[in-house]
Amino acid sequence: MPRIDAHAHVFAKPSAQFPRAVDEDCPAGREEPVGKLLEAMHANRIGQAVLVQIGGAEVAQHAYLLHCLREHRDRFRGIGLIPPGDPEPERHMDRLAAEPGIIGFRLFTVGGPRDPFAPIDVRRFATYRIWKHAAAKDYVIWLYARARDAHLIPYLLEQFPQVRVVVNHLGICPGAGAASRDDRGRPRIATPTYNPAFHTTYRLNRYENVVVKLSGQPAFSREQYPYRDLARWHHNLFEAYGPGRLMWGSDFPWNLADPGYARLTSVVRELLPGLSEADHAAIMGANARRFLRFPSPNTD
Amino acid sequence: MRGPTEAQTRQWQEDGFLVFPGAIAGEQLQRLQRAFDHWAERCKADWLDRIDRGEQAATYYDIPDPLDKDEIFIDIVDHPSYFGCLSEFTGGQPIVLAEQVRTVPPWPFSYTSWHPDVPHSNPLHIKVQIYVNDVAPGRGEFAFVPGSHKRSAGPYTRPLRQESMPGYRTFTGAAGTAVMFNARGWHAAMDNHGGTPRKSIILIYEQRTAGRVDAGTFSSIAHLCTTPERRRLFSLEQ
Repeated sequence: MPRIDAHAHVFAKPSAQFPRAVDEDCPAGREEPVGKLLEAMHANRIGQAVLVQIGGAEVAQHAYLLHCLREHRDRFRGIGLIPPGDPEPERHMDRLAAEPGIIGFRLFTVGGPRDPFAPIDVRRFATYRIWKHAAAKDYVIWLYARARDAHLIPYLLEQFPQVRVVVNHLGICPGAGAASRDDRGRPRIATPTYNPAFHTTYRLNRYENVVVKLSGQPAFSREQYPYRDLARWHHNLFEAYGPGRLMWGSDFPWNLADPGYARLTSVVRELLPGLSEADHAAIMGANARRFLRFPSPNTD
Repeated sequence: MRGPTEAQTRQWQEDGFLVFPGAIAGEQLQRLQRAFDHWAERCKADWLDRIDRGEQAATYYDIPDPLDKDEIFIDIVDHPSYFGCLSEFTGGQPIVLAEQVRTVPPWPFSYTSWHPDVPHSNPLHIKVQIYVNDVAPGRGEFAFVPGSHKRSAGPYTRPLRQESMPGYRTFTGAAGTAVMFNARGWHAAMDNHGGTPRKSIILIYEQRTAGRVDAGTFSSIAHLCTTPERRRLFSLEQ
């Protein structure tokens, strides 16, 4: 049965060959090379993965991601970024998608009115053209929306129901100011005990082309592994989406030291203990294979 | 204060709901609408900030602490139009748990899916939903599955679409209409396909059990609760 990590980041140190942005996540002296990910995957019987761009949205800054996709065509699929405010997002998307392995684009905003009582014209949303182009070209939208945008997502799904959407990191839409880093530099997202994101996240299940990624638990949990305070959230996602529309992801490399890649491969078992073997296999890979159209491992 | 008629008692037992058209009317309704709109406007900026911070949902908007804001929000809690029935059904032992003064913006689908509020192990839990503006079909009207409050009913599952719930009934109505329902039953708001937000007030009651509501919960309005009945209702006296 194929096992696929549906969310990982790799990056090289910035260089002429692999230019990238330098920030708190990816300081100049840090690298998380693809070899390290492959090693962790191999040790844990993970055959394939989605590499999500980090280190800048310009085409040139995707160099390391594209390099990895070219070098390991049978293993990886890639998700690119789009520069905010790009006057021609369609051109940017097509340029990246022309490279082997890029299947979609990650969005952090939706770009509609802040006031839920405001009149809605989806064509005026800042990301409208991106969604429209994704619909036309069958690109995947990798959506990590902020809390203020969560209620706007259904308007785009109504307009473009054919777009495949992967809701990132449990569908927890972080609030403004909620992101920080712990003393090891790992992402932390402060999440209220009563998380209003469920009003949107659970209910997007009515759109057939929406799936939710079970990832990012270390950033959202108030507990140590296995993050049992998120068990109810996982259960509700399972109830809403069923076993066919959830995907596991490791969020490599942020949690490689703690709890470690091996334990992350068990987090679905820990938080959804009643899963059948078939359902577990679906979440751990079969869904990603089908939804993201991964090749069979030995066909390339 | 009117108690339930025989027909009302029968309907309550069989169906789990009662409708009170024009429960709030005339000058009192206008006062309620004015207070609702005034405080909704006053508190909105804070709500939007809380949405940004991920502390509040954008799919509905509740005026915070309404009982502290205008006496009309207290007066409707024991309104004679429906309180006699509520008192009778709770064996003369109703207590208030909360009041939600709620505006629901139009959205591609309803802000809440089908659900019961409490299991059968919970004491009798009753809600009264009062429309503050007119609610026409397809405008987010309240819906309930008659009989679903009974222990023998179901099992029910949550459908993807509101209109796929078997046996449901919707409740449209003019402003001032009140719908009382047994919250063990399955209920929802229907989708709002119009451009008008739905304004309503949801009063939440329960049959009294010892210690259910702390005496301090409603202490800020104690000076407005001058009768023993109202003090018991707000758990200011046990």
